Amino acid sequence: MPNEIILDIQNVTKQFPGVIALKDVSIKINRGEIHGICGENGAGKSTLMMILKGVHPWGSYEGKINYDDEELKLENRSIRQASDAGIAIVYQELTLVPNMTVGENVFLGREPKDHIGINWNKLYADTQKILDKYNLDIDANALVKNLGVGKMQMTEIAKALSEDAKILILDEPTSALTDAEIDRLMEILENLKSHGVTCIYITHKLPELFRITDSITVLRDGKVITTQPTSDLNEGMLIKHMVGREMKERFPKGKRKPGEEILSVEDLHAVDPNETSKEIVKGVDLNLREGEILGIAGLMGSGRTELVSTLFGEYGKITHGKVILEGQEISVSSANDAMKKGISLVPEDRKRYGLVLIQSVQKNISLANLDQFSTWYQIDFNAELNASDTFAQKLAIKAPNLSVLCQTLSGGNQQKVVIAKWLMSNPKILIMDDPTRGIDVGAKYEIYKLMNQLAEEGIAIIMISSELEEVIGMSDRIMVMSEGRSMGTLDKDKINQEKIMQLATGLA
Amino acid sequence: MGDTLTYLKKQIRENIQTYAIILAMVLIWILFSFLTEGRYAGSQNISNLFRQMTVTALLAVGMVLVIVTGNIDLSVGKLAGFVSVVVAKFQDDIWFQYLPNKPVLTTILSVLIGIGVGTIFEVIQGYLVAYLRVPSFIVSLGGMWVLTGGILVITEGKTIAANQPLFSYIAQGYLPQTAGWIAAGIVIVILFFTMFQNRRNRVKYGFSVTPLVLDILKTIFLSALMAVYVYIVNQYNGVQVPVLLLAITAVVMSYVSTNTPVGRYAYAIGGNREAARLSGVNIKKNIFNVFMLMGLLCGVSGVVLASYVGYGTIAAGSGYELDAIASCILGGTSTLGGIGTIFGAIIGSLIMASLSSGLQMLNVPAAWQYILRGFVLILAVYADVYLKKK
Repeated sequence: MPNEIILDIQNVTKQFPGVIALKDVSIKINRGEIHGICGENGAGKSTLMMILKGVHPWGSYEGKINYDDEELKLENRSIRQASDAGIAIVYQELTLVPNMTVGENVFLGREPKDHIGINWNKLYADTQKILDKYNLDIDANALVKNLGVGKMQMTEIAKALSEDAKILILDEPTSALTDAEIDRLMEILENLKSHGVTCIYITHKLPELFRITDSITVLRDGKVITTQPTSDLNEGMLIKHMVGREMKERFPKGKRKPGEEILSVEDLHAVDPNETSKEIVKGVDLNLREGEILGIAGLMGSGRTELVSTLFGEYGKITHGKVILEGQEISVSSANDAMKKGISLVPEDRKRYGLVLIQSVQKNISLANLDQFSTWYQIDFNAELNASDTFAQKLAIKAPNLSVLCQTLSGGNQQKVVIAKWLMSNPKILIMDDPTRGIDVGAKYEIYKLMNQLAEEGIAIIMISSELEEVIGMSDRIMVMSEGRSMGTLDKDKINQEKIMQLATGLA
Repeated sequence: MGDTLTYLKKQIRENIQTYAIILAMVLIWILFSFLTEGRYAGSQNISNLFRQMTVTALLAVGMVLVIVTGNIDLSVGKLAGFVSVVVAKFQDDIWFQYLPNKPVLTTILSVLIGIGVGTIFEVIQGYLVAYLRVPSFIVSLGGMWVLTGGILVITEGKTIAANQPLFSYIAQGYLPQTAGWIAAGIVIVILFFTMFQNRRNRVKYGFSVTPLVLDILKTIFLSALMAVYVYIVNQYNGVQVPVLLLAITAVVMSYVSTNTPVGRYAYAIGGNREAARLSGVNIKKNIFNVFMLMGLLCGVSGVVLASYVGYGTIAAGSGYELDAIASCILGGTSTLGGIGTIFGAIIGSLIMASLSSGLQMLNVPAAWQYILRGFVLILAVYADVYLKKK
């Protein structure tokens, strides 16, 4: 009889320069169980997975991981070694080749060969065998791009199982699935369990954890808070474990007085313009006052970014509902249109959406506002430099001069350049999508101070953040989203982490 | 003096690529001058060399912006060729029938028609690329074939003469010596005027200005360079009309690329399309505009080609698109988009022309000329990649 514990993580500590991602983490995972791991964004879930798939190889962390009573030493960064050992991962983002069939994907890189090349018959027969064994309802010959997301995920699972996985790690597997598909996934997991496959199920959706798992580990700030059998826990306890920490004085105090209502959104629905059957915003109400910071909280995939880019006119197609700006219903057709109406968006992921990294600070700041100092045939460079410089100073952008390229700046300064760009357009409403992601604490503090200052000047700010503490620390009110819907708006005196978590996980 | 030195160092560091390519060109000239015992640097050869590069350089000037926006245009060579045969057809045939003995009017009409044809064709291609989202590689590849057919239709497989005296003047003419000096003088006055104008504007905004001595030295250097050029070509036949045309075009396009919103947006689109879009840049309109400019230049280039060769032939413009692309790349334009200058493309064209002229003078067989050209292109780009890594 093999050992009851298949994976024994002992005192694992993983440090990155300046950050401890995992601190003395010990988790024991029993053979054949479904073990849930939950925690806030940034609690250390993904770092742990990176270690289990060898992206952070053995030796780059302290502590020990025993797998089937032997120490697991993943020495290279290729996930091949992990899957050879029997640890397979189904990623949050699907990693299939859309133009290949299910069978080709399942055996990608391991195609069965005979003396003249790939043995296609064996490949498809083997694929079908796996699909049948685990009761996965897909055709091995179907093209992956023609499958729905749910079936794509099944293909991923089949791929993992074809490698004789003993442990299957699912990282936020339901973030893109419909309810029916989630039900189906749950059935599949039960079926796998009956075949003796161990599952590690990572999610922040609490109802799923209670539905499927045998035991749950809660991570917070890189530490294991608790591991308990699911039957001993309830949702309230779990939320307390996830967020239970004290708030430190990390946020500057503002002395702003919110004024008149400037924007209100009523029952907004919007679809993906490229796939009109996919609803991305499913009913949002919000209102915003001058000189106020409204936080939008929600977990990854809750539709926060989709909502704000729709308001900015650059993503969703509005199918229902109203957007009312200063008492008048508006429809925003493009970024340019939004700017003219006084709405600015500091997009998420500054490198991808915010900056032209190979251009100078000055050109980046002025990009959205060139018409302020140019006619169609001429840009007034001096006026441009003057205006850019004014904002660079206001935001205290640290750069040798404004002609250095943005790619040479630190993350915090890059973010300030993006903010400067959007302030130059003189907005009434400034939407900031995760403005402090990936920048250090000092720079964060400066951005918070700036936000306070802007709000005091009367600009209405909408701030999205993945960090709960940050939303709570900065906002006057918080609107919580879950699965494309607004779940409710909390006033300053009613804000607490448990309450937000309940709304964000769809419990309240 | 210390200030001056740090300023110069900074200038060199920031424009290392430009200086490197100018240096490469000078080295090529020195090398060939040695190998040809000075004949290469003679006024006749210099004059011809600059004249020879105008057709592809005009295309390269437009191509820079196309590549900067992250697109490519394979049809420009054939488009210039098509324009040249259309213009030749008018010159040789149509004007003769309907507007005989009116050389000034017909030449002007020919030029306008040439530019119009080039622009209209690129407007169609630009619409397909920008608004209908067909990849530019495909659109222009298709366009190239269409034009190849178009050339055959117009010429009916024959060669059309376009050697009427006034028309020939466009690409074969020379300014009289005095006119050359007057032109140079005017440009020098403009150079000094804009320099002082710029300084005044900076002072008005309260910005620091570079030391006056440096600005004056720089302007004097540019003026001297031009004077030397005019002196050399005046030793032969005088300032070449097509080179003058190219210089004006290059200055205008350089201005468009750096001083106007259209140019600025082109660089932003190539640098990060998503960021440009979210900054309110109208991406479709801008890419369309860039293609339209390309068409304008194809038109000019085609007219010069017809006048230069004196004929419209079925082979007109073959392979010019690749020369133009290579000129851009040699001049530092990034194939990934977002980076590139008109000035660089001109120098790139000049390097290509210098190479083939030198190799011809040395009687290197055509086969080896091609092989060497291939090596130079790859080597230049490799050197660039290597320098950037360091």
